[in-house]
Amino acid sequence: MVKQSEIMIEARALAYDYSGEEEPSSPALSGVNLTVHRGEYLTLIGPNGSGKTTLLKLLNALLTPSDGEVIVEGISTVDEERTPQIHKICGMIFQNPDNQLVATTVEEDIAFGLENLALPSVEIRRRVVDVAGLLGLNHLLQKPPHMLSGGEKQRVAIAGVLAMQPGCILMDEPTAMLDPAGRNDVIETVRMLNRDQGISVVHVTHFPEEAVYADRVVVLDQGRMVRQGPPAEVFNDLQLLHSLGLRGTTAVELAAMLREDGFALQPQLLHCRELVESLCSLELKS
Amino acid sequence: MFIGTEKLTHTYMPGTPFAMEALKEVSFSLSRGEFALIIGPSGSGKSTLIQHLNGLLKPTSGQVFFEDRAIGSDKTELLKLRRRIGLVFQMPEEQFFSETVFDEVAFAPRNLGLDEEQVRTGVKDALEKVGLDAELLYDRHPFQLSAGQKRLVALAAVLSLNPEVLILDEPTAGLDPAGRRHLFLLLDRLNRDTGLSVLVCTHHLDEAAAFANTVLVLQGGKVILSGPAEEVFAKRDQLYNLGLALPAVTEIMYGLVEKKLPVRTNIYTIDEARKEINKLKGRQE
Repeated sequence: MVKQSEIMIEARALAYDYSGEEEPSSPALSGVNLTVHRGEYLTLIGPNGSGKTTLLKLLNALLTPSDGEVIVEGISTVDEERTPQIHKICGMIFQNPDNQLVATTVEEDIAFGLENLALPSVEIRRRVVDVAGLLGLNHLLQKPPHMLSGGEKQRVAIAGVLAMQPGCILMDEPTAMLDPAGRNDVIETVRMLNRDQGISVVHVTHFPEEAVYADRVVVLDQGRMVRQGPPAEVFNDLQLLHSLGLRGTTAVELAAMLREDGFALQPQLLHCRELVESLCSLELKS
Repeated sequence: MFIGTEKLTHTYMPGTPFAMEALKEVSFSLSRGEFALIIGPSGSGKSTLIQHLNGLLKPTSGQVFFEDRAIGSDKTELLKLRRRIGLVFQMPEEQFFSETVFDEVAFAPRNLGLDEEQVRTGVKDALEKVGLDAELLYDRHPFQLSAGQKRLVALAAVLSLNPEVLILDEPTAGLDPAGRRHLFLLLDRLNRDTGLSVLVCTHHLDEAAAFANTVLVLQGGKVILSGPAEEVFAKRDQLYNLGLALPAVTEIMYGLVEKKLPVRTNIYTIDEARKEINKLKGRQE
């Protein structure tokens, strides 16, 4: 697959300032240069208040930059007339699924954005059925959204975005309110869309275990980008992560301690499974 | 029984086509000073159960007990009860309504009709209990605080009444790793130092497992597992089938056991895992 050649979103010298608004402590951004490529899975991490949500909102024109610019598939987000087009290209998934489901049935909810595009009803129906099939929601189409589990609700929200045939999905802590099964459900769904449909993903999360599936991890602190790289590199930079109040995956954290204790573990391991295998290869068995 | 329920059943919208039995004959009890977790998939009845524990909901049938007495429906009794059993909802800072941190934390004590001197002491103590600098924050607008500080102020607002039981619904939702860790260490300290009984609903055993001494597992409105934390966590397959996940560090230990390395699996923190794995060292060639 051709990956990461074409540019999907480009942010140049991006700055955002909340001064003058009601909440003076809201995070500002400054000097952010970020390119999201087509088909790329990007994770944004950083402490509370580092500007992750602000950046996400700037990427799909929910906010417009105080300085610098954001270009989405060639369109600048300051071009107000084309904002609807940007929303169609970049769909957003929020933390709480209850805040983004609006209709009385799952089917109507998935169709909501499409109806605003004034598409013929045959086309709307076709797209709803397509995305429901893809995300395994067929059996839920006639149900009221409030009867679904958290993970199902989040998948319905994703289906609504997907029906708009976006190039990119932006997600702000999409699993924060979900149980472990719901979290898996959402992460698997998004990974599948990224892999099979080539949809770009920008995913904000506080959970290292979720962030490791990305192609690239970007670290924000106090409104600035302080590090970016492949997950295995970024999550093994414990000195940086700890200084920001973040942490590596459990495997990384434990491996670092064991290396101090003299265990010659494989470098840059990330997953539990890798740590187990690396420990076993040390031939600790009698 | 310090706090608990006896065959507690709760039906939402009874007698309508939308009737939904959220709790089915739930019985459990906790002793004073415990640190308990309630776990279970979404929709298993956790939030309904905790609202019963401080009398916010009325049982459809069955009873809720506090200090061996059934919780009735007498209003004055219920008010007293809610002073002794504090409830912190999910994302509590979304319900802030005061202009200053002081007023936010002072709301409950003032509501009880305490004089300003007592209110002042209550607010100061509560903010200090959660580790915030009281004097520095009094006049700040709650929205000027960081996410972690807002959560702590919400906690202080409940602690201002000096409850004996603190019940929290997903207390770390939306916090960063440092904030999550800080909050559980704080709950642990309050539990140990002041004897406060703590009851937490959580989806994140990774951060909570190490602090619990009792665990209650709900599914479909029923208690399907309960007991000392280690015994419940030892039922790995059953938890897995419920869609619940043991801490990643516990999974690492199980992974090592599967590879025939002799380690314990009742391990819930990275430090414990480090110690246990170091015991293998003598065996290294």
